Amino acid sequence: MVRFITRRLGQLVIVFAGLVVVAFLMSVILPGDPGRAAAGRNATVAQVAEARHRLGLDRPLLMQFGHYAARILHGDLGTSVFTHQSVLSDIRQVLPSSVELVVAGMIINLVIAVPLGVLAAYRRGRPADVVARLFVLVGAAMPAFWLGLMLQLIFADQLKILPLSGQLSFGVDVRRITGATTLDALLEGNFPAFGDALKHLILPAIALSASFIAVVARTVRSSMITALDSDYIVLARATGAKEWRVVVRHGLRNALVPASTILGMQLGWMLGATVLVESTFNRTGLGAYMVTGVLQNDLYAVIGSILTIGVVFLLANFAVDLIQLWLNPRLRPRRRTSAVPLVTSPAPAGGVS
Amino acid sequence: MTGRSEVLLEVDGLVQRYPGTRNAAVDDVSFQIRIGETLGLVGESGCGKSTTARCIAGLTRPTGGTVRLGTRDVLSASRSALKSLRRDMQMVFQDPYSSLNPRMTVADLVGEGLLVHGLRPERRARRDRVVELLDMVGLPASSLERRPRSFSGGQRQRIAIARALAVEPRLLICDEPVSSLDVSVQAQVLNLFKKLRTQLGLSMLFIAHDLAVVRYLCDQVAVMQSGRIVEIGSRDQVYGAPRHHYTRELLAAVPVPDPPVERERMRTFRISEEST
Ligand SMILES: Nc1ncnc2c1ncn2[C@@H]1O[C@H](COP(=O)(O)OP(=O)(O)OP(=O)(O)O)[C@@H](O)[C@H]1O
Ligand SMILES: [Mg+2]
Repeated sequence: MVRFITRRLGQLVIVFAGLVVVAFLMSVILPGDPGRAAAGRNATVAQVAEARHRLGLDRPLLMQFGHYAARILHGDLGTSVFTHQSVLSDIRQVLPSSVELVVAGMIINLVIAVPLGVLAAYRRGRPADVVARLFVLVGAAMPAFWLGLMLQLIFADQLKILPLSGQLSFGVDVRRITGATTLDALLEGNFPAFGDALKHLILPAIALSASFIAVVARTVRSSMITALDSDYIVLARATGAKEWRVVVRHGLRNALVPASTILGMQLGWMLGATVLVESTFNRTGLGAYMVTGVLQNDLYAVIGSILTIGVVFLLANFAVDLIQLWLNPRLRPRRRTSAVPLVTSPAPAGGVS
Repeated sequence: MTGRSEVLLEVDGLVQRYPGTRNAAVDDVSFQIRIGETLGLVGESGCGKSTTARCIAGLTRPTGGTVRLGTRDVLSASRSALKSLRRDMQMVFQDPYSSLNPRMTVADLVGEGLLVHGLRPERRARRDRVVELLDMVGLPASSLERRPRSFSGGQRQRIAIARALAVEPRLLICDEPVSSLDVSVQAQVLNLFKKLRTQLGLSMLFIAHDLAVVRYLCDQVAVMQSGRIVEIGSRDQVYGAPRHHYTRELLAAVPVPDPPVERERMRTFRISEEST
């Protein structure tokens, strides 16, 4: 158990190191001279050179990397040339709003994908299966930003049942506590504002989740088919269990393990996909911050955002590993089997020498 | 001796035809099982034994025929009637590795029948009954919170048997319950069946492809070949004076003709019987 966690933590550190290297290479290769950006648009050549020296950009690449890595480990992601704030504090400012959107998207993802996957597996080959698969496929085939625009057009512009964009209606105000508007409204006990924030969350969350639903539904469908075909399902039926119990208690509980792996990865991907949604809906967030960063040639802001997404991705996967370990004892490495090679492998070596 | 007792299960003209296959998997199968009787169903792989069992248990709908348990018709049963029928008819499958849900504890697996049929609504009572059942199949009460994966094949099959017996069925349908086990373990599990049958007065449909196993346990024997029952009769009649050439072939194919070997085999059964 402890060994398993230590090993996963080790992997986490290695992947994170890789992420830092990639981020550094991006800062070197990508267009946009940080020295010029830092010195300002109208700076003289001498001023730019001075800025480059100050930033350490005139030193050898390896040394630059050393500095860069050390700075990142201290939480220094550089300064945004656009907001003139440290990138880390910028991200701290916008991230909660994105997390809120991702959580909402994840809920929609789960609420739609899991039942659809189960239904499709249960009625496999029948019309319900075909319709369910077609439905998720259409959702996945639409680009998120385009779907966002369509949703705005239909639900906000035409039907006028949901707000067009933003996070709160005009005149509704919520004090910033965490930065996630719905949560802040709740913490304040301001329920009308909570409802308002929730309404603003629905369309972007749908647009964000549409392309993720297909993958989860398909995974649930296929692992559910495997589960439903197994002997223990037939036996549960023979015992006299109701279909609901057979499908959910016996089938779904076994089928959710592969889906949870996918969901863990999607958490990170979804945070990245906010890039496609937040600007459309005029929301604060990491995605919108990144879009601004790209448009403004704000290198450190972009790299900082990418690093953040990578870290969230890694942590989410680590959390899923832990949850699976807890849910599914079968995944726990068995002490006996892992001990065997340790005991036997030194023996032949000893015999030879 | 069983001639006068009441018929428990009556299968009449059962036919199962899977779409896209030329021959029926089960072709006009008829037989009866009386109360307290064990019928052995033997035949080579793919001859339709499992399909017959599934049709009887109401797990698949056959193309034709009738199945009656006591006075009740299984195939035309309503949802609620089927549920009560299922209480009276429980199954044990061949592979104890795949027939127990890996994510459930022994307590939940064995207690499931009690729960879904509302027999022991309170947790404590259910638990007590499960301990009783585990004891009956020779497993310690400490198994309760463990999951199937920490048990051997023979132990898992004992769990499956306890699970089937929990609801006090009148008919136990066993689909090759020992063929996936080691020979020594087979003997133990067979002896357990024998003990339980006497103890509980169970009627059984016992499917096997091993003739020695059927001979050891069953009163009546039915021999099946490509979907049909080619011979049916008492154990002594089928083994002593087989009428159908296929039965003779089957008997010849088993290494039974060597009497010392067979005696040795029966001795293993009996020795482990004493130890259970
Ligand atoms: N769901 C199904 N669809 C199509 N054909 C099937 C299906 N189930 C079984 N069959 C066919 O029906 C025939 C009988 O199968 P069945 O499983 O009843 O045989 P069996 O006697 O139990 O064999 P074994 O000893 O290998 O368990 C086989 O030819 C099999 O291929
Ligand atoms: Mg079979």
